[in-house]
Amino acid sequence: MTVPKEPSNRIELLQGTLDMLILRTLLFGRAHGHQIARHIQRTSNDVLQVEHGSLYPALHRLERKGWLTAKWESATNQRREFKYYRLTAAGKKHLAAQDSKWKQLAGAITRVMEPAGEN
Amino acid sequence: MNLWQRITSWRPRSAQQLRDRDLERELRDHLELEAEQQRESGLSADEARYAASRAFGNTTRIKEDTREIWTWASLERLAQDLRYATRMLRRSPGFVAIAVLTLSLGIGANVAIFTVVNAVLLRPLPFPRPDRLVRVFDDLNGSGAKDIGMSVPEMQDLRDRANIFEQLTPIWPISAALVGGDYPDRIELLATSPEYFRLLGAQAALGRVYGPEDAVPGFSDAVVISEGLWRRQFGGDPSVIGKKILMDTDPYTIVGVMPRGFRHPGETVRNDVEMWSACGFTGAPFANPPVRAANLLPGVLGRLKPGLTLHEAQAKLDAFTAQLRLAYPNDYPAASRWSLRLESVQDHLTEKVRPTLIVLLAAVGFVLLIACVNIASLLLARSAARVRELAVRQALGASRGRLVGQLLTESALISLAGGLAAIAVLILMKNSLLALVPADLPRLSEVHFDLRIVAVAFLLSVFTGIFFGLAPAMQVSSLDPNRDLKEAGRTGGGSARHNRFRNTLVAAEIALSLVLLIAAGLLMRSFWDVLQTNPGIDPRNLTIAQIWMPAPNNPQASPYQKIPARSAFVREVLRRASLLPGVEQVAMGSLNSIPFVNGRAPRAFYFADSSDTARDGKTAELGSVSPDYFRVVKASLVRGRAFTDDDTDQKHRVAVVNEAFVQRYSTPSDPLGRLVRLGAGANDVQIVGIVANIPDDGLDVPASPHIYLSVFQSSGLDMTLYLRTASDPGALREAVVQAVHRVDPTLPVFGVRGMEDLLAASMVRRRFALFLMGTFAFLALLLVVIGIYGLMSYAVSQHTQEFGIRMALGAQGRDIVVLVLRPGLLLTLSGVLTGLAGAVAVTRLMSSLLFGVSPTDPLTFLAVPALLALVALVACYVPARRAVRVDPTVALRYE
Repeated sequence: MTVPKEPSNRIELLQGTLDMLILRTLLFGRAHGHQIARHIQRTSNDVLQVEHGSLYPALHRLERKGWLTAKWESATNQRREFKYYRLTAAGKKHLAAQDSKWKQLAGAITRVMEPAGEN
Repeated sequence: MNLWQRITSWRPRSAQQLRDRDLERELRDHLELEAEQQRESGLSADEARYAASRAFGNTTRIKEDTREIWTWASLERLAQDLRYATRMLRRSPGFVAIAVLTLSLGIGANVAIFTVVNAVLLRPLPFPRPDRLVRVFDDLNGSGAKDIGMSVPEMQDLRDRANIFEQLTPIWPISAALVGGDYPDRIELLATSPEYFRLLGAQAALGRVYGPEDAVPGFSDAVVISEGLWRRQFGGDPSVIGKKILMDTDPYTIVGVMPRGFRHPGETVRNDVEMWSACGFTGAPFANPPVRAANLLPGVLGRLKPGLTLHEAQAKLDAFTAQLRLAYPNDYPAASRWSLRLESVQDHLTEKVRPTLIVLLAAVGFVLLIACVNIASLLLARSAARVRELAVRQALGASRGRLVGQLLTESALISLAGGLAAIAVLILMKNSLLALVPADLPRLSEVHFDLRIVAVAFLLSVFTGIFFGLAPAMQVSSLDPNRDLKEAGRTGGGSARHNRFRNTLVAAEIALSLVLLIAAGLLMRSFWDVLQTNPGIDPRNLTIAQIWMPAPNNPQASPYQKIPARSAFVREVLRRASLLPGVEQVAMGSLNSIPFVNGRAPRAFYFADSSDTARDGKTAELGSVSPDYFRVVKASLVRGRAFTDDDTDQKHRVAVVNEAFVQRYSTPSDPLGRLVRLGAGANDVQIVGIVANIPDDGLDVPASPHIYLSVFQSSGLDMTLYLRTASDPGALREAVVQAVHRVDPTLPVFGVRGMEDLLAASMVRRRFALFLMGTFAFLALLLVVIGIYGLMSYAVSQHTQEFGIRMALGAQGRDIVVLVLRPGLLLTLSGVLTGLAGAVAVTRLMSSLLFGVSPTDPLTFLAVPALLALVALVACYVPARRAVRVDPTVALRYE
């Protein structure tokens, strides 16, 4: 699915959640910027609107905080080199913390919005 | 400066550029990949690129955002380092206090000396294009006589025909009696050519300077006065311009006042030129036509033509003098090898103090080096205890660069604090420090404390901080978390390689301080030798007072021109002075009869009873003294007789010469009875006596040849009254002035001083050098004691456990002491040996400051290392004693 949906159907990311999504994406292994952008778009069924460019300040910020490392490496089946990002131990730890925080938040919001919820 | 800027700006820019290139490439990759995928889904190439960049967003903004993250990062890291460093330093206030104190001493001393060196040696003279200002000296290479003075025709040749100088002016510093100000005053006058001010590029603060339009054969009517004289004699009144004054009874008109900071760049009679007068040197009182053989001009100042270097100018000048030698063979006999020498004004002005200042600057650099080494060694001891901390931080993922940066931040903080403390102390003590500097230091008035000095202090602090911070920082690079965590866990810090490095530092410190101590020792020996030098006279209870008799341009106008009138004046002044209370003996002498003041003005002479001529380069100081002079100053007569009251103008002219004269000019033949001729046409003078040398400069300067004439047979106008008193004469000054003024109230009396003060003043430069060098050496010794003591205490604390075991196994106290002392003494020995080698190499450079001792004086080279070794022994022994007192049970339980 490559044709973007109409803007009205897409949802802006909540403040601060992009970092979490990036870290989550990298949990599976190394990825370069484009792969991360595509992955987020694909897994959210194109609902989450990530302006590709905005990924990069976030990536560099995470790198500076020591949650990611970056390295120029050649792609698996290409001769080209890309800048691949990897999760550090600290990054994993941070992701875990963020994850549980997010679950609490999401749960709480769900409980408020749907008091007679199914779950 | 340029290089520094490049060094500082190089690293950040390159790191930034790398990051920028990196980002650029990363973003391009992204856009390409996106475009490829869009194309695969069926878009055309252009559409695909468009879609990709739309999905991407604003590229420029994204780049800026990303870049900002990194910029902010480095700043944040610095802030973090600073925070951490302050926290670490606050935890050890004792160490910080010692380090800051040591550094502030080191940096402060360096900044202080540099301030003087900068003002005196480095900063160009305050004139336009000062590099083109030169002095010209007449030398006679045949006899080795230097600076014999220039004749007026020579000056004219140089000015008009040599094509080397843009302008040229004689400089003739003289005394003069000023009448027309607030009181009769003796002032310093500088006679120059009318081009003088144009040559220097100087303007008057008030009125005008004189110029070529004021040219006359003799002295021009227009004179320019200094700001100081303007305030002293004319109350700072602007209407002084156009005022008529009398100088040595001749009328002049003041046309200008120079600005406050203007100083004549050259020697002066005593302090500073107070009046400038334009002169052609070819009319009265000078001979007309001028005589080529009469070297009456004491100095010449020139401005080289644009584009001529000193070297090229000297080459042209050599060619020119060769022509002159050919043209005037009678005036320039081949054997005398007459030549002219150029020297830059700045070099000439400061040549006497340059060696002292350079040696002091080097010494003070050594002190800072020792301070650095000391702090580096202290820091090492601290960082030994921190190896575990650093290893842990590295294991947790801190990069080496980060750890090094962290340690350097700490040392930079310390050194900046030291620099700040140094500046604060310097500003507070500015006046008392300046008072230490000898008052006769050239360009002293230009010594200022300004922002540049603060900048130097700042740079010095930063470099120092990096320098002594490098030692502990270097350790980080050899950090191995695996090993160090284990080592540190066992012994609490301090591996072998660590200690080796520290030992090397302390040995270096010992070596450096030994060099300083030996330099100070040599200076002290020199000073002692100077003090022990027989002054040839008795300076105690001897007071002098100078009198200036006017020298009008028309000699006939002077009441004292005729010898009988002058003799009568001298006799009357002597009679009145001898009646003063407390005065036992009195005598009269000319300016260059005053000991210790270097009022030298050598005169050419030759022996009338030989085939000599005036150009053979025999020169001697010419003084005229009253019969009692030698008795009053207590100079011993070696042979022949002194002058008597009978040596008047009615009799044969007679002379007394000193031993230096005999040595230089009259061996092996007996000088007594020989005839001396002081220039062509002058009456011959017969040598009737030989007197012991009376030093005409400091005790450390060999006496120059002297010819003394009887005051009743010569016509000098500068008179000095010598008063030998019973004890310390209280208010002698007023009494002397009154006594002279009873005879002639228009004569200025000045420079009433005790001979002991003159002697002390002649040693002030040597005293200054000795004092500073002694202080620096003492500081160095103190630092070394701290260094050795710190090292040994640390070593003892490291081995407490070992000592405990040894003592438990039966070792005696003495064994432990030896155990501790041995490495300390070995260290000292290696430091001392290195230092001795360094001292041999370095002290040669200060030979011009030494007197009576060789730069490798055996006594100094034995005694000083022995002293240092003794001090080192004590510094080792105290910790060793502590090791002995260790209780084995406590020691074994330790840790």
